Amino acid sequence: MTLSAALLLGAVFWPSPGRAAVPEGIHQSLVRIELTAQEPNYKVPWNPGSVAQASGSGFVVAGDQILTNAHVVSNARFLSVTREGDPKRYVAAVKFVAHDSDLAILQVADAEFFKNTVALELGDIPTIESTVSVYGYPIGGERPSVTRGVVSRIDFQNYSHSGMDAHLIIQIDAAINPGNSGGPVLQDGKLVGVAFQGYSGDVAQNTGYMIPVPVVQRFLKDVEDGRYDRYMDLAITTWPLQNPAQRRALGLKDDDRGIMVSSVSTAGPAHGILEEGDVLMAINGLPIASDGFVEIEGQRLQMTEVVERLFKGDVISFDLLRKNEPQKVKVTLDRAWPYLMQANRYEVEPRYVVFGGLVFQPLSRDFLEANPTEDLRVRYFYDFYIADELYKERPEVVVVSSILADPLNSYLDFAQFGIVDKVNGVKIQTLQQFYDEVHKKAEDYVIDLLGNARPIVLERQAVEGARERIKSRYNITREANLEDKR
Amino acid sequence: MTRALLFLLSVLTGLASFGAQAAPTSADRVGETNAPVVRVNVTNQPYDFFRPWSKKPPTSKRGLGILIRPDRILVTAQLVADATYLEFERAGSGEKTAAVVDVVDYEANLALLKPVQPDFLHDLQPIGLTLAKVGDSVTIWQLEPTGAILKTSALLTTVEITTYPSDNIALLVYRMTSSLQYRDGSFVLPAIKDGKLVGMLMRYDPRSQNLDVIPAPVIEHFLKAAEGATYKGFPRAGIQFSPMRDPQLRRHAGLGEDEKDQGVYITEVSEDGSGEKAGLEPGDVLLSVDGIPVDQDGNYPDPDFGKVSIAHLVTTRHQTGDVLKTGIMRDKQRQMLDVALLYRPPAMENVPPYVIDTPPDYYILGGLVLQELTGQYLREWGNEWQNQAPQRLVYYARYFDEVFGEGRGKLVLLSQVLPSSDTIGYEQLRYLLVTKINDREIHGLGDVAAAVKHPIDGFHKIEFSDDPKVIYLDAKEIEANAPTLQKNYGLPGLRSGLDVPAGR
Repeated sequence: MTLSAALLLGAVFWPSPGRAAVPEGIHQSLVRIELTAQEPNYKVPWNPGSVAQASGSGFVVAGDQILTNAHVVSNARFLSVTREGDPKRYVAAVKFVAHDSDLAILQVADAEFFKNTVALELGDIPTIESTVSVYGYPIGGERPSVTRGVVSRIDFQNYSHSGMDAHLIIQIDAAINPGNSGGPVLQDGKLVGVAFQGYSGDVAQNTGYMIPVPVVQRFLKDVEDGRYDRYMDLAITTWPLQNPAQRRALGLKDDDRGIMVSSVSTAGPAHGILEEGDVLMAINGLPIASDGFVEIEGQRLQMTEVVERLFKGDVISFDLLRKNEPQKVKVTLDRAWPYLMQANRYEVEPRYVVFGGLVFQPLSRDFLEANPTEDLRVRYFYDFYIADELYKERPEVVVVSSILADPLNSYLDFAQFGIVDKVNGVKIQTLQQFYDEVHKKAEDYVIDLLGNARPIVLERQAVEGARERIKSRYNITREANLEDKR
Repeated sequence: MTRALLFLLSVLTGLASFGAQAAPTSADRVGETNAPVVRVNVTNQPYDFFRPWSKKPPTSKRGLGILIRPDRILVTAQLVADATYLEFERAGSGEKTAAVVDVVDYEANLALLKPVQPDFLHDLQPIGLTLAKVGDSVTIWQLEPTGAILKTSALLTTVEITTYPSDNIALLVYRMTSSLQYRDGSFVLPAIKDGKLVGMLMRYDPRSQNLDVIPAPVIEHFLKAAEGATYKGFPRAGIQFSPMRDPQLRRHAGLGEDEKDQGVYITEVSEDGSGEKAGLEPGDVLLSVDGIPVDQDGNYPDPDFGKVSIAHLVTTRHQTGDVLKTGIMRDKQRQMLDVALLYRPPAMENVPPYVIDTPPDYYILGGLVLQELTGQYLREWGNEWQNQAPQRLVYYARYFDEVFGEGRGKLVLLSQVLPSSDTIGYEQLRYLLVTKINDREIHGLGDVAAAVKHPIDGFHKIEFSDDPKVIYLDAKEIEANAPTLQKNYGLPGLRSGLDVPAGR
């Protein structure tokens, strides 16, 4: 069961009968976005990726900007926007993008576009069972469409765009279809959410998801300083304290309060401040219940929701019990980088090194999607990269992703999906370091893989002799890319 | 050269002794009624490693056993694994008697059975062993309901070293092709040539019509080991190696013209194995074993079968206790080491590859079910267990030495939680590696039993390598609630081996 982002891919023609008339006002806010995107190629990383067209929705917000989903504009090579009543296609550009909360802001150079447009006003979290309307340009026709439904559930859920983030989400029973993405969801004329993902009809019916206003507000506030800092992350794991014996052993009263810290990531902002075994009693003064919930503005929400609404550099205070002693600690919020390894990434180029006809790439979600493997060690390093803090020893896990067959590497089949441990005795922790080591002058390059495998031995002369041959035979335009950005 | 010749002679002597034990009959003259076979009816009831206090429903299997020694019937070990009842049935008369396992080796997949009624097999002559070669035609015997022997010919296509069903040893196998008819619901059958046993069938794939036969040399080794006071099965060198055809690797290791076509790269040396005790190290190049050169793929010229893996030389050509002069290249220098071959019973492994015929050990602490990690436990996830079982446990089992280094002992898991008032909030915990109980390190269930005698301030403190890292139980309360827990879940005991009689 996978959530799919509601992006309309390719030109789909679907004859449709008459549709509900669109209310007057919304015409002046609704935007149709057309995207030409290029997906990076993690299988043949020196190749530019395939180009695809897609379309989605968006709306005008204050400051002559367009708000939409990040997935509507991801990996864009060309963006254009149109609005009702104006035949012109305007060129647009991404101003800010938040892949963790699937939101983006576009700007249009031609000020003409915003003439007669009305910026939507932000509302609140709608109440359960209240009616909302979804506007956009979904599959089924060319003109704007509206669907209507009720708020089914307010929850903390996964955002499929990054694959690693979970934030507040609102489920509605109005249809959200491909092309609806980025479109506004209104109640009483105010924005209450941005339509963004749903299930395909064979998994669940009448379940659409929208990004609620607090998440939108957070994004708008974050970019006020001219850049997007992403969501902050305490990078800790916690354990509910509901077992009476455990509560007594930790010196707690029978008052359903407090959760235990199970792990503190060394790469997170709480490292050195919180400790394994600490009992968190309150966050920013809000009492933490034994199931990890706090009450914010009358709603019971997970403790992380407090962090969700804050920004880089904000300070969080915890009341805690450490070895039965009450303490107060402060954590200055920041993000934790290791999580990006397991997230879908956009606007980044695959990083790789070709050496001796072997392709070396850092392990990542995008890499594994393009190079699926059942190799137990690779799977373990991916799945437990965070839980077992494997990033401490290897910030990047450098994998032999493919072998471009050549007499030079005829006997190296065993190395496929091997993880590089050392080059000439030097432990490899990043792709850059690997690149540096194999570009040092040496007679032999001895590459040790993790686990019990025989080493890869590549003789310098043989590597040099095969280099041009491999490059031309496999059409390798660049032998290495060490930079994320284009 | 001399050594190779002596080696050949000893093999020939071995074959002569096969001949002496067998009745000099050929296949055509084996009478239907006095053929040295019995139908073996087995009721198997394996233990349930997900509920280690109980057994799975019984199943029945049948196979055709062959008289290999006076009063001893040979079958595959798989047939009698976790058997609760064994029975011999005579081919012609249908007469039956109960039987018991005399010796069993689940690695070699062979078992010797004996009848409870002593004279049940007295009128039958034990069959001898013989070798077969690629291209030979052999006969697979099956039993018709009438007691007549159905003979199907099979062609021996390949002789090679391959992994046996226990998954932890590679031994010689005869690969054959034949279209066998389905009889008795099993393919545990003897393969015969010239009135002698070539091997026991252990795998048959009806689709490809390929069959795997445990060959006479493996059977001979098993029979010889079975004569010992304590069974010491197939020894092993305790090393893994990688082929060395790559000229760049060869030059790097310092191999030259003298070692042309020779040598494999040792990638792994098992803890406490024969190789480690002899001083072998990963990175050594293995050049010769017992004076016989090892080629770049790890093969040697076997006098009977031509090129086969040195695994055959070590495990089957030799017995536990033999000392092999082993030639290696280390740091570009040639060296000779004496490798004394050891046999390690599987139960001694850190993660035993299988646990058969013995009940799984467990310890239930206030509803927390603690078990040792074994291959048998992982196999409960079915044939696809390598992908289905929790990744971390599969990883621990496969790369134990790499993850834990030496001296870690057994891994104790919290396998599941039986919900009760003592385990509120712990219900979802499972597959967690227990590192300490009451601040004492846990390297086996024995440590658990010892550690729970020392609660800290009235609580049992249980620590895991993974989240939630630590939980507590009230020592007095769980003791008081133990009878209720036991009754509620119908547990025969709260730990194995003490409250429950161990073994059969």
